[in-house]
This record gives sequence, structure tokens and C-alpha cells, in this order.
Amino acid sequence: MTTAAIDARGLGKDFGALRALDRLDLEVRDGEFFGLLGPNGAGKTTTVHLLATLLAPSRGTARVAGRDVVREGLAVRRSIGLVFQETALDRDLTVAENLRFAARLWSLPARVARPRIDALLRQFELLERRDDPVRTLSGGMRRAADVARGILHEPSILFLDEPTAGLDPRARRSLWERIRGLRAASGLTVLLTTHYVEEAEPCDRVAVLDHGRLAALGTPAELKRAAGAGSLEEVFLAHTGHRLAESDGG
Amino acid sequence: MRAVYGIVAREFVRFLRQRGRVLASIGRPFVWLVFAGAGFAAVFAGRNEIDYRVYMAPGLLGMVVMFGSLLAALSTVTDREAGVLRMVLVAPIRRRTIAFGKALGATLLGTAQAIVVAAILLPFVHLRPTLAGALLGLVAVVLSGLAMGALGLVLAASIRSIENFAGVMNFVVFPMLFLSGALYPVRHLGPVLRAAACVNPLAYGVDLLKHALLGGWARAGYGGELPVPLDCAALVLFAIVGLAVAALLLGREGGVTRTAFRERR
Repeated sequence: MTTAAIDARGLGKDFGALRALDRLDLEVRDGEFFGLLGPNGAGKTTTVHLLATLLAPSRGTARVAGRDVVREGLAVRRSIGLVFQETALDRDLTVAENLRFAARLWSLPARVARPRIDALLRQFELLERRDDPVRTLSGGMRRAADVARGILHEPSILFLDEPTAGLDPRARRSLWERIRGLRAASGLTVLLTTHYVEEAEPCDRVAVLDHGRLAALGTPAELKRAAGAGSLEEVFLAHTGHRLAESDGG
Repeated sequence: MRAVYGIVAREFVRFLRQRGRVLASIGRPFVWLVFAGAGFAAVFAGRNEIDYRVYMAPGLLGMVVMFGSLLAALSTVTDREAGVLRMVLVAPIRRRTIAFGKALGATLLGTAQAIVVAAILLPFVHLRPTLAGALLGLVAVVLSGLAMGALGLVLAASIRSIENFAGVMNFVVFPMLFLSGALYPVRHLGPVLRAAACVNPLAYGVDLLKHALLGGWARAGYGGELPVPLDCAALVLFAIVGLAVAALLLGREGGVTRTAFRERR
């Protein structure tokens, strides 16, 4: 029996006159690997920030890990991990200091945090760089450290907001191997946003957002069949094609 | 509370790692002592009730706390720009806990700097406070640090980027310093500036420090001028109001989160 990890109903957000997210109905099942596809400005990051309680919805409701994002923000934040588009680490602190800082923010006692940090550093191949300031790390390593920070408190739901933006192909591949390993080991629910269409192929289900609206939803196979397309990229283009030119590079 | 400890610990690690900031905070009062001290001492020469460098000492300690705590609290702006504030905001802690942690870190950092500077400065100008004076001085430093930290948070939540920093220095830090009584008694100023000094938190901190350190010169008119309880009450009031406003501004979605998230939509 599966329960909903994320359940959004009519969720929307305006920034002044700009309607960033219209009315989103979205259900992500427990343990699911869910992809949120869309060009830049489609509302992907707004959706993630609404679900992570960092923004207050203008309309609609959402429950994350069974808790309401407006009324139970603290409980929601306790259950989720969020890896931001841009690093959320302190560049002047070392990798280990950043993870220790995060452990304290999440109220992990030192005796729990210490072995966990060591294990994550090993798993993410950062052991040799643990005492180096984050600013000296390569983009790929920094991203790995960001993900390690995001899962340090063992969340049940992990949000990855364009996690591979700006990474070279090798770093991108090793990041995906790590995410796969994490999901296999813990049954973690993952909500991924990306505009690299091929990254959504291994997702259980994919939603295509465009102009703050849900344009398509289904498994990659279903979406391809419905659009009469051979690849997810064609699906993406079919639903958002008119915008692709503007969203280049990002 | 582990989160508050984490925020405070990070402030200290960052401070100690920035060697330039450490040197500036320790060296700044001595630069003032040598350069401003020499000039003012010459002007004051002939009225030998008090050595001007002794007169400056409480004000210089107030200045150390002001820079120490204000700059630490203002680092919230760089936290926001560098992105580390995102990590703090997505953690399961309340916005007001973040504000409290930042203010506490700023207070302790300013206090630590003032203690280090006092240990060098006071023997240097041959000022030996009594035990009661030293304790009152510590109270003055902690309360000033809290008020300055709260003010720094309010400023940090109000300004958009670190580029407004020069504005803060020109229109907040320098007027506050010159109207604090750190360099000359405020009572000789005109009514407008005297009124401005009344709403200057640093003025109460420096006055309290004068009570603590210049008790021996009180009769000559160089000690603290306001009653000690009034100084303390004013500083506590500034701290409470500042923290409340800061928590409000930080808690507001468009406050800190605006630059951290909105433009990244």
C-alpha cells in the first residue's frame, strides 16, 4: 500500500502581478522517483520552495510527509532534504565544518552526527578534502557535499532542484550514481526538477510544467506514447516547444 | 538550542579564520588612540584634569563592541548573498531562533573582542579599574553588544545587498560613534545633536563604560553622566525592540527570503 509523500491541491503562487505557479495538483507516492520537467521560469523552483515551506502559497494547499506546509512548517522541514540549485554551503568553512554546522541546525547530537558525517564523506569521496574550505572544491565535489548536507539528517523526501546544472558530464554521472545508490539503500522519495530531459528518463513518473501549469503527467513511457514521440525530449518539446528558444542556457 | 549553538559557533570560526578582520578589530582602537588621541590631546592640553587618552579608553571599548557586534550581525547580508542562509532557512528551526542565534553570536563576538582589547588598552593608558568597575564594564559591553547586534540584524534585513554597506557606515556607524561621547562629551553639543544622542544606543553603552572606568574622574566631569540604571534600561530596551523588529523582518517571506529565493524562481 503506497501513501502520498507529497499531495498538492490547487497549489499556486503569485509574485506581485506575476503568476509563477497557477494551480498545481500533484501527488508523489512514497518511495517514488518523480521528475518535474520544464523550461526555466516554468515554476519548478517555485513549486519546490512552496513544498519545502520556504514560500507561502498564494492559493491551494499541500501536504508533505503528511504535514501541512503552512501550519506545520517545522515538521515538514524536519522530514525533507533540499539540495538547492546553487550551493547552500559556507564557502569559507571546510567540508567537515559545513556538515557539522548542518548537523547542529538539524539538532543531531554529536555522537549521532560524527559517524554519519564520516560515512557520508567516504560515500561521496570527500574524505581527503574534509578539512579543505568549500571554496577550493571543484563544482562536482561541491555538489556532492551539498547532497551530503541534504541527506545528513536522513530525510524521507529529498528535493533536488536542478542538481546537475553547471556540472561536467563526469560529475553529472557520478552524482546520478550516488542518487541511485541512496534510493536503493533507503527507499527515499526523490523529487527532481530539471530541464535536462534525458535525466528524467529513469524517473518513475514525470510531470511537465509550462507557464506555471501542469502540461503533462505520467510515466516516461506513457508520455511518449501519448505524444506519439520516440523520446522524452520530443514530449518536452511538444508541450513546451514555443518556449525552448528563450530558455537556452541556464 | 543545538541550532543556536551551531549558529554562534559558526560566527566564531568564521571570525577567527578571517585574519584581516581579527587584526582590524584589535588594531582599530589603537589607531584611534594614537592618531585621534594625539590630535585631541593637543587641543585639550593645558586642562590637565585628565589625560585625553584615558578619557578615550571607555569610548574605544564601546567602539570595539560596536564594530564587533554590528559587523557580525550585518554578516547576515553576506550569508544571504553567499547562499548559506538557504541551509539555515530550510532547517527545522523557527525564524526567531535564527535571529536570536545571530544576535547572540554577535554579542559574544563583540564582547570577546572588547575583553581582548581591554586587556591591552587599559594597562597601556595606565587605567586600572576596580573589581566593581570591571564587572560593570563587562555588563556594559554585553548589553551594548546585544543592542548593536539587534541593530545590525535590523539593518541586515532592511538592506538588499552588501553594496549598501558604505551607506551604513556613513549614515549609521559614524554618527553613532561621534554622538556617543566616545571622543568628546555630548553635553557641549547643540540641542538637535543632543537629542540625536538620546536615541543612540552606543551613547548609553559608552556612558556606562565611563561609569565603570572613569569613576575617579567623575567629580571633574569626565565620568558617566546618566544614572547607571537608566543606561542599562535604555540598552535593554534597544535590544528588545531591535530583536523584535529583526525577528519580524526576518520572518517576513519577502525579507531575507526575497533575495535568497525570489530572483532564482
